[in-house]
Amino acid sequence: MTEKESLELIGQMISTAKNNLQKGTGKIFLLWGYLVAGISFATISMAKYMPMQNAHNAYYLWFLMFLGMPVHYWLIKKRENERLVMTYIEKLMRWVWIGFTVSILVVVVGMLLDTVILSYFASDMKGSHEFVRWFQWLLLTPFMLCLYGFALFVSGKAYGFKPLVIGGIICFFASFFLLFSIHKTGVVNVQQFVLGVSAVAGFVIPGHMLNRKEHKDV
Amino acid sequence: MFKELDPLLHSQLRLAVISILIGTEEADFVFIREKTNSTAGNLSVQIEKLREAGYISVEKSFRGRMPRTTCRITASGISAFEKYVDALSGYLNLK
Repeated sequence: MTEKESLELIGQMISTAKNNLQKGTGKIFLLWGYLVAGISFATISMAKYMPMQNAHNAYYLWFLMFLGMPVHYWLIKKRENERLVMTYIEKLMRWVWIGFTVSILVVVVGMLLDTVILSYFASDMKGSHEFVRWFQWLLLTPFMLCLYGFALFVSGKAYGFKPLVIGGIICFFASFFLLFSIHKTGVVNVQQFVLGVSAVAGFVIPGHMLNRKEHKDV
Repeated sequence: MFKELDPLLHSQLRLAVISILIGTEEADFVFIREKTNSTAGNLSVQIEKLREAGYISVEKSFRGRMPRTTCRITASGISAFEKYVDALSGYLNLK
């Protein structure tokens, strides 16, 4: 082997492990995309047909999100079993998504605990205190959308997959819009609608495109 | 004065293996075999030589019931590869 051949071989082999998204990733995007969009739209519909004083109960539908966890675990396990190579970008992105999940859990569990504690120990809250008790939930959706935007945008740029970048940017704009309009009446339903549309743009559409790309690549 | 090329790396298959591993966090034996177009027997021998030299680490595990061999480059493997490329650049007047 000559020195020139050595150099050519090195270049050729280094380029074999491309930073493509691992096969099976599309299904994970579809799972969470459809779950978030489905629950958002179902919440709006349920709240609409429920008596005014009970309409807030429609938001308990969000507990269905926990059903996604075992399915997610199964999909990840299946994907990892099929994995033949892991690039440095993939390793980094794995930690970005783990950080994203932890951030979401910290916010949601923290807010749930606070609400439960307040409900049990300060159930006689009135006026401005009662407002404080629920106001934090208005910040949840914009905050979630900002986190979605971050994870989607970084993933899209890292893997060079434009639909994820576009989905991330849509989530950023959605988050900004919701923060901007937080004082408006009926904003809760608007938040649910924007969240649903963003989930479609950031997860469902890129998920289907990834799935199609996987089938084409095979 | 030309630097000597590491004889362990100056072999087609071993250099291909190291080049794949330098660009990845870890790679499966099957992936390396496919990309290098080598036979399982020959690849096993070359991987063992690289492992003995401390250039790569090899982990054997199971994926379901199927045995799996995962390779990773070590710090001394990265250093050896860098020295090899450096020496190669000298030969090819790239510096």
